[in-house]
Amino acid sequence: MFGQVLATEFVKLHRSKATGATLAVLAMMPPSVALFMWIVREPGRAAELGLLGTKASLVGIEATWPAYFYMLTLIFGVGGMLLLAFIVAYLFGREYSDATAKNMLALPVGRHWFVVAKLLVAAAWWMALVAVVLVEALAIGLAMGLPGFSAELAATGIAHVLLAPAISFLLAPVVAWIAVLSRGEVAPIAFSLVMLALGNLFGRTGWAEWFPYSIVPLLIGVVADPVDSLPAGSYAVLAATFVAGVAATILQLRFADNAQ
Amino acid sequence: MPDTAVSTRALVKRYRGVTAVDSLDLDVRRGEIYGFLGRNGAGKTTTIRMLLGLIRPSSGEVTVLGRRILPGETNVFSRVGFLVETATAYPNLTVRENLDIQRRLTGSPTRTVADSIALLRLGPYADRRAGQLSLGNKQRLALARALLHAPELLVLDEPANGLDPAGIVEIRELLRSLADDRGVTVFMSSHILAEVAHLADRIGIVHEGRLIEESSRDELAAKARAFATEAYTSEEREQALLTLDLERYFLARTDENPKSGDA
Repeated sequence: MFGQVLATEFVKLHRSKATGATLAVLAMMPPSVALFMWIVREPGRAAELGLLGTKASLVGIEATWPAYFYMLTLIFGVGGMLLLAFIVAYLFGREYSDATAKNMLALPVGRHWFVVAKLLVAAAWWMALVAVVLVEALAIGLAMGLPGFSAELAATGIAHVLLAPAISFLLAPVVAWIAVLSRGEVAPIAFSLVMLALGNLFGRTGWAEWFPYSIVPLLIGVVADPVDSLPAGSYAVLAATFVAGVAATILQLRFADNAQ
Repeated sequence: MPDTAVSTRALVKRYRGVTAVDSLDLDVRRGEIYGFLGRNGAGKTTTIRMLLGLIRPSSGEVTVLGRRILPGETNVFSRVGFLVETATAYPNLTVRENLDIQRRLTGSPTRTVADSIALLRLGPYADRRAGQLSLGNKQRLALARALLHAPELLVLDEPANGLDPAGIVEIRELLRSLADDRGVTVFMSSHILAEVAHLADRIGIVHEGRLIEESSRDELAAKARAFATEAYTSEEREQALLTLDLERYFLARTDENPKSGDA
């Protein structure tokens, strides 16, 4: 039965504008970074662009492959957290905004299977987005002829870029729980925005590695210099957050009132 | 096999101090059409939500097809078709795709999609997105979904919503034939007496969450006639008859000129 549940969750995405919209948003990021790199590399022409050139040069980033990977990590880390929150909020919350939750929950299927299937669809959707946009980013970087490329750097850079979205996914079930608790899509997205702000705030304290929403900013260097590896405690916090989110979503669907 | 399809005992649902359903004892026999009649806010939809396990009773119990409904227990729903509140479907999917989701999740054979499309006369709209359907056809899609897996029990909340008079008659005949020919039990709620009076074998009247009367259709009709004789003026009776005549004339005229497309 789980195979059928999973298949129907993919079918529900047919002709959905959300898939294209998320791809469009994320796919805009590498060209934006590339434009930034171009401005940094061409200060003369950047000056002709006025404020944009001034701001770009103020950041002090070099137009090199390591800097390019660093900025991609920032985008996949911070922007990705929000985009993934949107995906999860859409998959769970639309059942309420389209008023189809009542049809889904009175089917002869264990409600936990819907939670697992939707999270797997979110993971597949997210991985596909990341893969497509990473290939796009690499192609743009190569086309620009940025200096400092090597196979070793590429492997390390890609690993870093992929780690942030992977960690972001561990926070996704909490977003799912907020979506079913609030019976819609707005609250989980608002929750994610607030958590992102709190994550940055806590990230500047000594608790950064213990607060789940500070861990990605800590890893990618939003709140301090990027770290090469996270302490084991952070992984434990992320795993606990993931398990708690899945359990809360299942319990909400199983035991709470689920009228529209 | 118990001869009761739906049973509630001392069923109560309270929302923040407001009692929506109050000590409801209900027995729906297998194979009958039970009309659950009440005004808006009487507790009909809340009762249906509890029958389908969508909300938890504050106290009391619900039994459907011999199985007590407990939180999250959904196995019995393989034998139940339902339509709760408004007819909804995934708007980005076609009629056929929406029904295919129902087929997959109820473990029904592939042909059941085409069968239910034919049964509800949705053929011309089968490849149209649900979001583009008229209200009446959305209702037909919801009924097709409810019937797709050949349920033993149909729980229908205001099944005539959005249907035109011809559609109402058609659905009425369909439900009657399901009960008579296949022994399907139908539990249908409505706030429109005429809809229930045409179809139900027994009628329960719910008011402020309590079942205040339960009768066979004939008994209720006799009581209603006696009441009307005393309460109505001849002008009101004339008006009521005129409404019936107009409805019949309208149906006859539109049957002569069947519609060719969606409204």
